[in-house]
Amino acid sequence: MHRLVEFFRRIYVVLIFLLLEGIALWQYATSSPYTEAKIFARTTAIGGAISGMVSDVEHFFSLPEENRRLTRRVAELEAVRVQEEEIIASMMLDSLALKAYSEQDANFRFSAARVSSSTSNRKRNYIILDRGAGDCMKVNMGVMTPERYMVGYVTSCSEHYSVVEPIINDKFSTGGRLIDSVANNFYCSITWDAKSRYHALASDISVNVDIAEGMTIEVSSERMPRGVVVGTIESYDINSAQTAYSARVKLAADMSAVDNVIVVESVHYDEIGTLIKDDEK
Amino acid sequence: MYKYMSYVWMSLAVLFVQIFILDNINIGASVAIWMRPMIFPLIVLLLPTEWKMIWVIVVAYVTGYIMDISLGGEGLYAATLLPIAVIRPWLLYLTTHRSLEADGQSHLLLRLNVRQLMTYIAAALLVHHALFFFMEVLSFGDVVRLMLTIVLSTLMSLLIGWFVVRLFISKVLVK
Repeated sequence: MHRLVEFFRRIYVVLIFLLLEGIALWQYATSSPYTEAKIFARTTAIGGAISGMVSDVEHFFSLPEENRRLTRRVAELEAVRVQEEEIIASMMLDSLALKAYSEQDANFRFSAARVSSSTSNRKRNYIILDRGAGDCMKVNMGVMTPERYMVGYVTSCSEHYSVVEPIINDKFSTGGRLIDSVANNFYCSITWDAKSRYHALASDISVNVDIAEGMTIEVSSERMPRGVVVGTIESYDINSAQTAYSARVKLAADMSAVDNVIVVESVHYDEIGTLIKDDEK
Repeated sequence: MYKYMSYVWMSLAVLFVQIFILDNINIGASVAIWMRPMIFPLIVLLLPTEWKMIWVIVVAYVTGYIMDISLGGEGLYAATLLPIAVIRPWLLYLTTHRSLEADGQSHLLLRLNVRQLMTYIAAALLVHHALFFFMEVLSFGDVVRLMLTIVLSTLMSLLIGWFVVRLFISKVLVK
């Protein structure tokens, strides 16, 4: 109470001044409609300006909260964007599979996948795909590029990922086929000698083939449809017994730059496998 | 109380001159809109400095109130004279570089030279006239005319008021 009295004692001159000034101004303001309107307009404008300043100050102090809210919103939108990008990428992959499919592939199912990681500088190279057993991936599925260039075969699957054994793996082996100028098919074996990531070996090529550099070798396997290219003959040689050719094949696919791939499932692969086993008994 | 009687007489004289002479001289409407001499602020400007601010404010309000009643100002005179009472110490300090609190006004005004005294009176009249004429029109619509009215009226008030100031100093303060 004492402090309050002291406070008023200190500012009473100001209070008296404001009181008398207020009385005089009020008297003047209400003296005529003109002064009333004018002073009302001025005080409204001043009040508005002060209110605006107060609002600006309040807005300034609310900025950190607004920033936090915006950051949360940006994070939410970023998550949605990434999700939509994944959907679009998945749709594009599916469209790649559709493009790669042709009528002669009726016994095959095509789906798309993306390379998660790969190696190309070892003797036993591998490619990891972002699709696994949960996406209907199976062992022994064929893998090719959207341009129908041979990549390899699926050798194992987890729930979300698959491992592909590519041509550039010294354990890799598949059948090949040369088609000569009169559409005769000549079969061969495709392997890799671990000398170059850009080349494979074709062996056991019949001596009846009118072999030449630049000839195309396709995959010949029940796991892959027709027309999947391994590469072209860069050089060839005949064995010492003069019974077969072997050729150095320039690979059609660049194994170190494979990104999107088409995974091929042979519908009748199990049936063929059973048939071969029965025949071997 | 007796020593302040001269201030009372001076104030009454100034009010008389203002109300009955300056506001009743027929100088023609074309001149009157540009020049309206007002010397009544001198009542506040020449008050003793030993007076507390509260009494200066009261005197200013009473003076303004009398003017309002006499001339139909409806609060305009009081509203524009009160701020002069409040800023009087700063005006004196700014124009003469002397503080009111340091000494009695009678001695202070006597020690001021003519230039300093005139600057103080002129600055105070200019501020008062600016407030008064702006409050009267409450508009910046014709700012040139408003400025001219303020300046010309201040000059006229200073011219007339200067005789009052000199008379006051010689007849009241020198005693």
